Amino acid sequence: MALIDVARRPSKRGPLGAGGAGWILSLPALLAVAGLLILPIGQAVYYSMTNWNGQTATWIGPRAYLNLFEDPTFLRVLENNGLLLLAMPFAIIVPLAIAFLLHEEIWGWKFFRSVVFIPTAISWVIIGLVAAQFYAVKGILNGMLASVGLGFIKTDMLGSTNQAIFAIAITLIWSQLGTNTIIFITGLAALDPTLAEAGRVDGASSFRIYRKIIIPQMMRFIQFAFVITVLTAFTAIFSLIFVMTGGGPNYGSTTLEFYVYQQAFNQGDFGTGALLGVLLFVLVATVSIIQIRLLRVKT
Amino acid sequence: MTTTLSERPSSNHDDDVAEVHQRRIRPARVILFLIMAGVAVVMLYPFFYMIDNSLKTQAQYDGSRHGFSLSSWHLLFSSEPILRELLNSLIVSSGAVLCVVVVSTAAGFALAKIRFRFRTLVFLAIVSCMFVPLPSIIIPEFINVAKLGLLQTYWGAIIVYAALGLPFSIFLMTTYFRGIPDELIEAASVDGVPFTKMWWTLGIPLARPAIFTVAVLQFIQIWNDLLVGLLFLENTDDRTVTVGLALLSSGRVASVPVLMAGAVMSVIPPIVVYILFQKYLVRGITMGMGK
Repeated sequence: MALIDVARRPSKRGPLGAGGAGWILSLPALLAVAGLLILPIGQAVYYSMTNWNGQTATWIGPRAYLNLFEDPTFLRVLENNGLLLLAMPFAIIVPLAIAFLLHEEIWGWKFFRSVVFIPTAISWVIIGLVAAQFYAVKGILNGMLASVGLGFIKTDMLGSTNQAIFAIAITLIWSQLGTNTIIFITGLAALDPTLAEAGRVDGASSFRIYRKIIIPQMMRFIQFAFVITVLTAFTAIFSLIFVMTGGGPNYGSTTLEFYVYQQAFNQGDFGTGALLGVLLFVLVATVSIIQIRLLRVKT
Repeated sequence: MTTTLSERPSSNHDDDVAEVHQRRIRPARVILFLIMAGVAVVMLYPFFYMIDNSLKTQAQYDGSRHGFSLSSWHLLFSSEPILRELLNSLIVSSGAVLCVVVVSTAAGFALAKIRFRFRTLVFLAIVSCMFVPLPSIIIPEFINVAKLGLLQTYWGAIIVYAALGLPFSIFLMTTYFRGIPDELIEAASVDGVPFTKMWWTLGIPLARPAIFTVAVLQFIQIWNDLLVGLLFLENTDDRTVTVGLALLSSGRVASVPVLMAGAVMSVIPPIVVYILFQKYLVRGITMGMGK
């Protein structure tokens, strides 16, 4: 990329020189990011190794990390994060199928596209409010079961220690439909149409064309959607859990992200909260770095 | 989907093939349409549910009575500070969006168009913060903002929201400015316009599409956030509508119809923004995929 070579015409440059201008214009951003994002990460790492109640901190050292793994609640929380991953295949395949349908430009596809995208504009709080009504004992789900003669199956997913996390996972799939469909539609629009056309001329069925020609070309987008969805599930559904279950029953739907909040702001254990936050950061950074590496290899 | 036979050209008459293609495809198209209509119902039902139940009294919701009523809406406005909460949401969201737009256009312009020492390093430092999850920094952030005396003020929430939105917005702005020809800036530079002024007079007008994208994404995100609002704007007078609804629902004494009326109120602004600026929102989501 050709950059402006200011040195070539010194008489014409601004009063502060271009170098100065560059710094002046970036400074607000740099200060905000350093003070409000980078500094807190450093603080979190420091406080993670202390016993901290928000006022006074006593040093524990790296041992704090080992202590955590002896806590059965922490292991349950990690398991919940793992269970959320079970939603991933659905959160990818359903939007992929929808994107294929929309790409075929079926009747009314523009309307359907807008409808599918709507959850991207809606708060997790609102989604959670309605979802809580959906799963409630006297809620929509049991109502639907009753209306098809399956009233004897009384579900109470949100009240069950083992099922609550699945209720969250299913809601997550619904909410991610829009984002992932957008990603796949963009991907399909960027495909080389001549390859699919060649397959068609060679007499391949539509199914085979999708499986052998289109899906392989879409892998980059599938991977991107996968990472975005994992990051969302691990770091962005605090509100959904807060509204649907409050992390319960008995930590049954508490994820790492939610455990940070509970430890710090319910129990006043800021040190452990900071530690959990650092672990989450490491987890997210690892996923993101793997993603960047994989993309680099492919392209 | 379509059958193999209909796709296989038996001759080179393209018209014949197209005709067969069309005729065979129709039943399949109807099925695909029905599947998609089913998906649309699943996506839209929650909105129908919210509106439908907001128009009931508690007794009607429980099923002991039928019919519709506006009493839950009356109750919402009389017993909940919903208008105040909407105003708070508007103040905090627009304040933070304004900060993000001003700071990210300036930084994006500088990082894309002005050569200065450590430029790449500054860009990488800012953009790599995209991967910092909010829960990882929320505790130190809370303590820091408390020490600055900005808890329970709009400013505390605004600076935190703005900082969280900056890395992605700056990434987007820098990418956008890189696509603008250098000649435009060089011409202004020859005319003696200083770079610090050029950002404002030339950069901002040129970056209008990117500014819309950043503003729409940030507005929706901040309007919908719970965690920052919950911790930094705890007072009833200061809290946003999203926080108000979450607290109302966790109180467990709230009537569902009132809650749903509140939910309808709170989704209207982001839905309006979504409908007006769908193009920009989609662009923002897919921008992350850029190489």
